[in-house]
Amino acid sequence: MSRFLRQNSLSLCFGALFLATLVAQALVGHADFNHAAAAHQDDTISLWRYVRSSDFGVDVLENWQSEYLQFSLYILGTVWLLQRGSPESKPLDEAGGGSDHDQQLGTHAGDRSPRWARLGGTRTWVYSNSLGLAMVAIWLASWLGQSVTGRVAYNAEQFDHREAAVTWLQYVGTSDFWSRTVQNWQSEFLAIGSMAVLSIYLRQRGSPESKPVGAPHDATGVEG
Amino acid sequence: MSTVTERFQRAVARDDGRAACALLTQGAVVALEREAGRRCAVAITGVRVAQAPVARAQVYVTSAKVDLRGGESAFLSATRAGWRLDAVGCRPQGGKPADLPYDCELEA
Repeated sequence: MSRFLRQNSLSLCFGALFLATLVAQALVGHADFNHAAAAHQDDTISLWRYVRSSDFGVDVLENWQSEYLQFSLYILGTVWLLQRGSPESKPLDEAGGGSDHDQQLGTHAGDRSPRWARLGGTRTWVYSNSLGLAMVAIWLASWLGQSVTGRVAYNAEQFDHREAAVTWLQYVGTSDFWSRTVQNWQSEFLAIGSMAVLSIYLRQRGSPESKPVGAPHDATGVEG
Repeated sequence: MSTVTERFQRAVARDDGRAACALLTQGAVVALEREAGRRCAVAITGVRVAQAPVARAQVYVTSAKVDLRGGESAFLSATRAGWRLDAVGCRPQGGKPADLPYDCELEA
């Protein structure tokens, strides 16, 4: 058991943090919703009603979609984009998808290679791009979810202001939808950019996200 | 919320101010009494609302809008007592209805 916990501590720790902060978001979001309701002289709602509402849904999904966009662009972008001196980058002469030999595909696959890495054809292509495809799919699904729940929350506010509701097509053209979208995007891109640049000059001993402490600043694609 | 709107219309039509006010939100009652300077049950009979069937009802979270045949609308809020009218006798001001508030006979 302790071996399992130690060898999976990264996913377990972040899984637990995710659940704890999701619960915390539900609690504070519920308090915030009811504070606004009271200010409008509306009745308050229960926590259970709140977590089933589009207000909670859009607040969750607008963050999910930006995180998965961040990882989609990061995973796909680092195939070709380079950053001299950054451990986030591949070595400067290795831009692109890599050779079949380096990627252990087909006849270069080992006995313990995943089956779809050995088969060739469409299945190997899909598996070769499965991480990026999964991230993009989750991004698009959560962005769609943001638009659906966001429209419901927006229309509730429209009615509070005695204005007419909008269709989904109208909603994805509103400043509300794009404000929620780009305010999240800017922070994600800032984080990636910061990491790519700060890791050129700064170190974190023991982390695979950092170069070895004594590595030169221009050493590219090396991990600590 | 269609039922609440229709019950409100019937109460106003038969001058049953008490029944009509019971279907308003607290905010709407307070706003009416402040504006009219009289109790809701008396003041409500002076509010002009269309006696028309409900053509469409829309619900988003705890807010709803009912459109009557003839162009008038009402806005409702979900309360612990059920749906209650927040604004009645509402018509669009002109231009895009999504951009400008409706003009209402009575609103919270």
